[in-house]
Amino acid sequence: MIRLHDVNKTYPGAVPLHVLKGINLEIRKGELVSIMGASGSGKSTLLNILGILDNYDSGEYFLNGTLIKDLGENRAAEFRNRMIGFVFQSFNLINYKNALENVALPLFYQGVSRKKRNTLAMEQLERMGLADRATHLPGELSGGQKQRVAIARALVTNPDIILADEPTGALDSRTSADVMDIFKTLNRDTGMTTVIVTHDPNVGAQTDRIIRISDGKIITEA
Amino acid sequence: MRDLLDEIMQALRHNRLRTALTGLSVSWGIFMLIVLLGLAGATLRNFEENVSSDSSAKISVWAGQTSRPYKGNREGRRIHLRPADIATLKEQHKEFVSDVSSIIYCNYQELSGGSESVSAGPEGVSAGFIGRQRFTKLMAGRDINAHDIAASAKIMIIPESYAKTLFPDIDPAHAIGRRVSYAGLSFLIVGIHDGRWDRSVYIPFTTAMMLVENKDALGSMEVALKNVSTMEDGEAAEEGITRTLASVHDFDPDDSSALWISNSFTQAMQGRKAGSILQLAVWILGLLTLLTGIVGISNIMFVSVRERTHEIGIRRAIGARPRSILTQILAESVAITVLFGYIGIVLGTAFVQLLAFFLKESDGMSEPAVSLGMAFQVTAVLVVAGALAGLFPALRALKVKPVEALRDE
Repeated sequence: MIRLHDVNKTYPGAVPLHVLKGINLEIRKGELVSIMGASGSGKSTLLNILGILDNYDSGEYFLNGTLIKDLGENRAAEFRNRMIGFVFQSFNLINYKNALENVALPLFYQGVSRKKRNTLAMEQLERMGLADRATHLPGELSGGQKQRVAIARALVTNPDIILADEPTGALDSRTSADVMDIFKTLNRDTGMTTVIVTHDPNVGAQTDRIIRISDGKIITEA
Repeated sequence: MRDLLDEIMQALRHNRLRTALTGLSVSWGIFMLIVLLGLAGATLRNFEENVSSDSSAKISVWAGQTSRPYKGNREGRRIHLRPADIATLKEQHKEFVSDVSSIIYCNYQELSGGSESVSAGPEGVSAGFIGRQRFTKLMAGRDINAHDIAASAKIMIIPESYAKTLFPDIDPAHAIGRRVSYAGLSFLIVGIHDGRWDRSVYIPFTTAMMLVENKDALGSMEVALKNVSTMEDGEAAEEGITRTLASVHDFDPDDSSALWISNSFTQAMQGRKAGSILQLAVWILGLLTLLTGIVGISNIMFVSVRERTHEIGIRRAIGARPRSILTQILAESVAITVLFGYIGIVLGTAFVQLLAFFLKESDGMSEPAVSLGMAFQVTAVLVVAGALAGLFPALRALKVKPVEALRDE
């Protein structure tokens, strides 16, 4: 599903910063993996590249067989919209839109009709057990509920992969466990390829495989 | 479209106070524009009404005195316009002269009707003369017509005050059909004019000709023009009349004191030009006022884009194309501008109506009013203004990278 071959990334500057030093990585369809590393290890940059949020300088990145390289803003937006479901540490819900509208937003950018959008969004909310919270604003939801809304939003476009950036970072341990359960269930039941970036060993331990990154290189791919 | 509107409404509602405060400056700008346009329009309409009721396509000529010697005549010679000049002008300038008329002033003599009498010096005028007057209008009866002129009819139009004096027992309007005597002749009253500013007694020009002793001298002439549309036409007509009269009366056509000429046509043209300059000035003033509002909106959109950097990043991350972001910011800006602009239009219109109510009786201005066309123009201005205000903030929003979504607030 994901294949990286000798991916390099350097941030230009007075002192150019070589953050990714020839990353080779393969994640198969249906895997639940975690990427772990200290801050400054290049973990975030790798996530940005996997999520088509940023470009890389050399190498190749295939996502579901498509070469993702040097895309224009519009193509990148389209690929992100259709292939990737994002889950963020701070949920990143739009605070003046209610749960249903937040979940439906990616479909809005696909040009899906309002009615269909709301139906699909409602299905995802039901799946997350939040049907009764559909009209609540994010401010009226608990952390766990917010993250479940965010997961519903990630799933609504039926993406190829879920990319989660520290999805439990802002949650207490109990809620963290609930959220991890959701990821595991999703992965087990629907075979959703899921990549979780984390520095929490407990989260890493619950995934099929831990990819460790340090100083811009992958050190273990156990 | 509806989705876009929803998006806009949500975003605006989210920042209600800020939106309202900014919008107020636009409302104010539009309010000023509308009020200024309304007042300027009223002034211009007033001018137009005067010009048209004054039958602007005419040139008035008064006889003067030469200021230089010409063809053996000494300077200081008095020029006398003659009835024959009327025919000459009509004959020689068929292309632009539609009619030539003159006013003949008769001596003051007793004008009596019934048992009462007044002293009056009737003015001999051409057909339709009263209808062309600015300072009075017919209250009852009819104007002098071509038939009266042709027949030298002994008819008369008198001001209301004379009707009251001469026939104290009846309503002034009922004086029509009564007879009065002047200079030993019996005249039929055919019309009453209001005479608030102008207390003249009018009789047909040809009738007056019979009454005056020096039948050969006209005080003034009025040339009605046709086929004139430009400033040049008007000046050429004036030039032609001057040359013809100069050759008939043997004076230097360049002698500016031999004739006194008032060219209402070119004056009206100049007036209209001044009017359009006034209108332009008002638009410029109004737009400058509006500019303050636009700068405000632009500013607030910048703040909005900055505050929503994270939100825009999220939208980009989940698949918003740059164009969607651009459209949204522009649309928000246009929405604020148009919404508050219309508030300004409504308040401005109300204010203009209020002014109209109080100015109803004043003479310097017609009723100020806001026309539909003006509302359309202002709407166009608003949309353009809104788009302009949103343009730079929207371009700034385009620079927001989707990676922003990952940055923690």
